[in-house]
Amino acid sequence: MLKKKASFMVLSIFIVMSLWLVGCNSNNENSENKEPGNEPRNELVYATAKDINDMNPHLYAGSMPAQGMVFESLVENTADGIKPLLAESWDISEDGKTYTFRLRKNVTFHDGEPFNAEAVKMNIDAILSNASKHAWIKLTTKLAETKVIDEYTVELVLSENYYPALLELSMTRPFIFLSPKDFINGQTKDGVNGYHGTGPYKLADHKTDQYATFVANESYWNGAPHLKKITAKVLPAGETTFLALQKGEVDFVFTDDRGADSIDVEAMNLLVDSGDFRIVRSEPMNTKMIVANSGRTNSPAADAAVRKAIWHSIDRETISDAIFNGTEAPADKLFSSNVNYANVDLPQRKHDVEQANQLLEDAGWIGHDIREKDGQKLIMGLYYDVNSSSQKAQAEMIQSSAKKIGIQLDLLGEESTSIANRRSTGEYDLLFNQTWGLAYDPQSTIASFTSEASYYHTTSGIPEAEELYKKIEEVMGSTDEETRKSLYKDILTIVHDEAVFIPLTTGSVTVLAPKDLEGIAFKQTQFELPFDRMHFE
Amino acid sequence: MKRLRYLFNNKLAALSLILISATFIVGIFAPWMAPNDPNEVHMELRFASPSWEFLLGNDHLGRCVLSRLIHGIRPSVLWVLAALFVSAGLGTIIGFIAGYRRGRIDSFLMRICDIMLSFPGYVMILAIIGILGVGVENILLAFVLIKWAWFARIVRTSVMGYAELEYVKFSKALGVGNLRIMRTHILPVTLPDIAVASSSAYGSMVLQISGFSFLGLGIQAPHAEWGMMLNEAREVMFSRPEMMLAPGIMTVVFVSAVNFFADAIQVALDPKLRTNSSNRKYQSALVAEKMRRDEVA
Amino acid sequence: MGGYMLRRALVAIPLLIVVSFLTFILNTLSPMDPAEVVLHTQGVPRITDELLTETRAALGMDRPLLTRYWDWLLSCLRLDFGDSYVTGKPVWSLLGPAFVNTLQLTLVSVIAVILLSVALGILCALKEGKLLDKSIRSVSFILTSMPSYLLAALLVLYFSVKLDLLPTNGMDTVGSYILPVAVITISYAGIYFRIIRSSMLSNLNEDYVLFGRACGLPERKITKRILRNSLQMAVSVFCMAIPIILGSTVVVENIFAWPGLGTLSVKAILARDFPIVQAYVLVLAAAFVIVNSFSDMLNAWVNPKLREDR
Repeated sequence: MLKKKASFMVLSIFIVMSLWLVGCNSNNENSENKEPGNEPRNELVYATAKDINDMNPHLYAGSMPAQGMVFESLVENTADGIKPLLAESWDISEDGKTYTFRLRKNVTFHDGEPFNAEAVKMNIDAILSNASKHAWIKLTTKLAETKVIDEYTVELVLSENYYPALLELSMTRPFIFLSPKDFINGQTKDGVNGYHGTGPYKLADHKTDQYATFVANESYWNGAPHLKKITAKVLPAGETTFLALQKGEVDFVFTDDRGADSIDVEAMNLLVDSGDFRIVRSEPMNTKMIVANSGRTNSPAADAAVRKAIWHSIDRETISDAIFNGTEAPADKLFSSNVNYANVDLPQRKHDVEQANQLLEDAGWIGHDIREKDGQKLIMGLYYDVNSSSQKAQAEMIQSSAKKIGIQLDLLGEESTSIANRRSTGEYDLLFNQTWGLAYDPQSTIASFTSEASYYHTTSGIPEAEELYKKIEEVMGSTDEETRKSLYKDILTIVHDEAVFIPLTTGSVTVLAPKDLEGIAFKQTQFELPFDRMHFE
Repeated sequence: MKRLRYLFNNKLAALSLILISATFIVGIFAPWMAPNDPNEVHMELRFASPSWEFLLGNDHLGRCVLSRLIHGIRPSVLWVLAALFVSAGLGTIIGFIAGYRRGRIDSFLMRICDIMLSFPGYVMILAIIGILGVGVENILLAFVLIKWAWFARIVRTSVMGYAELEYVKFSKALGVGNLRIMRTHILPVTLPDIAVASSSAYGSMVLQISGFSFLGLGIQAPHAEWGMMLNEAREVMFSRPEMMLAPGIMTVVFVSAVNFFADAIQVALDPKLRTNSSNRKYQSALVAEKMRRDEVA
Repeated sequence: MGGYMLRRALVAIPLLIVVSFLTFILNTLSPMDPAEVVLHTQGVPRITDELLTETRAALGMDRPLLTRYWDWLLSCLRLDFGDSYVTGKPVWSLLGPAFVNTLQLTLVSVIAVILLSVALGILCALKEGKLLDKSIRSVSFILTSMPSYLLAALLVLYFSVKLDLLPTNGMDTVGSYILPVAVITISYAGIYFRIIRSSMLSNLNEDYVLFGRACGLPERKITKRILRNSLQMAVSVFCMAIPIILGSTVVVENIFAWPGLGTLSVKAILARDFPIVQAYVLVLAAAFVIVNSFSDMLNAWVNPKLREDR
């Protein structure tokens, strides 16, 4: 009899557990937004998998969306070209070497310091004194001198003509401006005393790995923003974030600066169905891809045939349909055709298992289970961001299709910082990555092919590497539109032929926001969101 | 009443034993038992409901949940068992040497044990995967590194208790070889202690390894493991809660069975040990020793 | 008694030294060359062999192991664990606050574990063999057999989502303690209450209880006596539970985004931030040794019997 009771207990607990699990489907509707209806809301809490980190505007540890709220650049990159921001207007000399900026007056840093030509010079000098960190941004190597002409006029003198200069000045970092009071011994490379920028939001509070709060800059030169307080809450991606959204503990998520979404498409759709949220998606902004390390001579990834075979083995249509529910279109080249200078005719590599097998066979990779060549097994590591569930799913799918052509992929999930680090040290075979977005494509992404901090290892192993680097050097200094076009064409053709960048889908920035939040817009970059334009209805 | 309780215990224990052995067998013969290839992706069958071909349905990549559950037995259950055997074996040998020889060797070995036990279990595991990288084999290595010391302490305490007994002293006086005494007189009586200790550690080890896989530090894709399956299910916890059922219930049932069984052998072996009153002090020391290291995932 | 305390305290010191040495060695096993890492964090574009040798010398890596260990130990004692590879911030500025948070979680949990396990232990012992005893034990069996993350998920589903009572994550309010503490408590109380129950049971059969009963002592007095004994047990449980729970909050912290050591260390591992991993191991192992020594002493102070056989 006692035994019966015991087993009854066991049984009933399982039943309760199962009911809970199955029942929670219907619980979703229960959570209502608890905000009082009469008072207009003016606060936003967004979830992020990573802390905002060190906000130092002249280094690279900080979260870019957060830096974008606090700091500003001289000019802004918009869909209609370069527009004024902290500089009201500018002139470029005939030879393309001298840029004269007339600064906006009455701009102050968050600590009350005036924004003027001296501050600009101080910031730019601080950046240049740490040049090795900024090697990826070629302007730092071309800037010869920064001259203060008068209080609101600055002159930048370049050593040679460099056509993307304004583009690079518009980037989220490093050419953004910090209050001179925050400098330590006139420098920023060894840390700063504070994070006072000129932007629409001020950093008010920061608890590492918990949250950061930003409050509206009431004396913002372009008018105080509507949302008075923005909180970045650090939450593990996935269901913790989902729950927090559902409970109203956070009310905003967006694609982070490494291209990872905290929750997957299906979870977003569930939240939209609940009636409290809506999804806003930007135009396609970048290309998500797998980057192969051609420079790692002992890795099969150094073999073009292997890279091409992987390219052919991936079923992009299914990734687009099944993993992204059709929200991201398949990509078949590094830059989609709407990117400047990228409308180049390149041969398409379709999903074709037979051809993939043939390529490997021809290159001497033979064997049944896992192919081999000269005693080396066809095994490679593929690194993905652990905070991105879609990357993991893609990785598993790619792993399974690679297995069918005799390639073993070992999947390794790491934090995005570690993956970025691997990219610069070359300790990888394959890793997930994305192009840098409309504001950076193609010029900055291509310039970074030569930079050790970015894609040097990716491109250095290909036979045409020297030629590639020479052409990149040339295109950046080119003045003639036609030469530039043809140089870009050559560059894109080389990397396409060598298949070092294996495209997957076209990525965009996805925002999940409260239904009544208006003014959600995007910049030309995936790294920032214009929070100052948002407001509640 | 007492008999009834025994019966109750034994029947449950029998049931647990059947469950445990069945799991082992299915795990060992996983490639033949599993209806499908556990890593075969069928994107068109994403989250499909159970069908005749896929009895428990399909996961987020359309893989067969049942086959993954079956193949998951190996890392979740069998490899842990192997790590347990290695650490128990190592611990027994060292514990025997320490407990039987006493003196300086004993205190030397026990100091090493103290050092190993100064690293809390989880910290040791994190330290090892921090250095050697994530992966289930590194967690198993960490298990062996921590648990052998724990076993050695238990076995030593137990051996010391029996080595003092009259008949052992008597055999010694007769000039019977040490190895022989250990084999014929001490090993048989310490075995129950080892069995009790191992079985009670097993459940928590299974939970720990699934916890680490759950955090993404354990087994790596595409290999199936229960904790990993639960982690994958957690991502769709709200849209497809039923995905948590299979691995969740499997883990709970298996660990419950192990714990029931561990409890039952402890009870079964208890009265025999209780009869010897000179042993009591060691018994309480033994319990204290075990409790020190009880950890839950 | 003072002698025992002193001896116990003295044992901890060599242990701490060996533990720190092992942690130091652990770092030399790391697959990343510290010199290379330093160069990368400095953003040096091309790393040459000469540069590496130079940096190694600058870092003092060509000196004997023991010298390096000694310097490292001294800086650790000043809480200088170096800088994080990822953020460049001093390790202690990240580890320190996280340690405090984990300590808070641990203390609250241990108190809950004690209250629950002593209460249940006594209750079950008094009702031994009754339905209540059986049911409590069965339920605890299942609950302790459940992976804590599964338990956490179920609790969150019910209390946070369905009933909308408690926050799902973080440590913002008192309410955010409830779920993580509940998960830890359920896992550990299930183990400890059984220990208390069985020692209560053997207590009940002790001579003094039988003798007291035989002499017609009022039941109240006997119960009082028994309770005093169980207080000692509570102390024992407390002493054992603190170091164990302190070291095993990893999973719970990660599930509830508790900003403690567990979350920090897992993140650091996945970001290959070795200085943090190393400092985490050292700090927790040292804390473990110290807390263990204290609890042994406390235990010995409350239960004089224990002092003899140590």
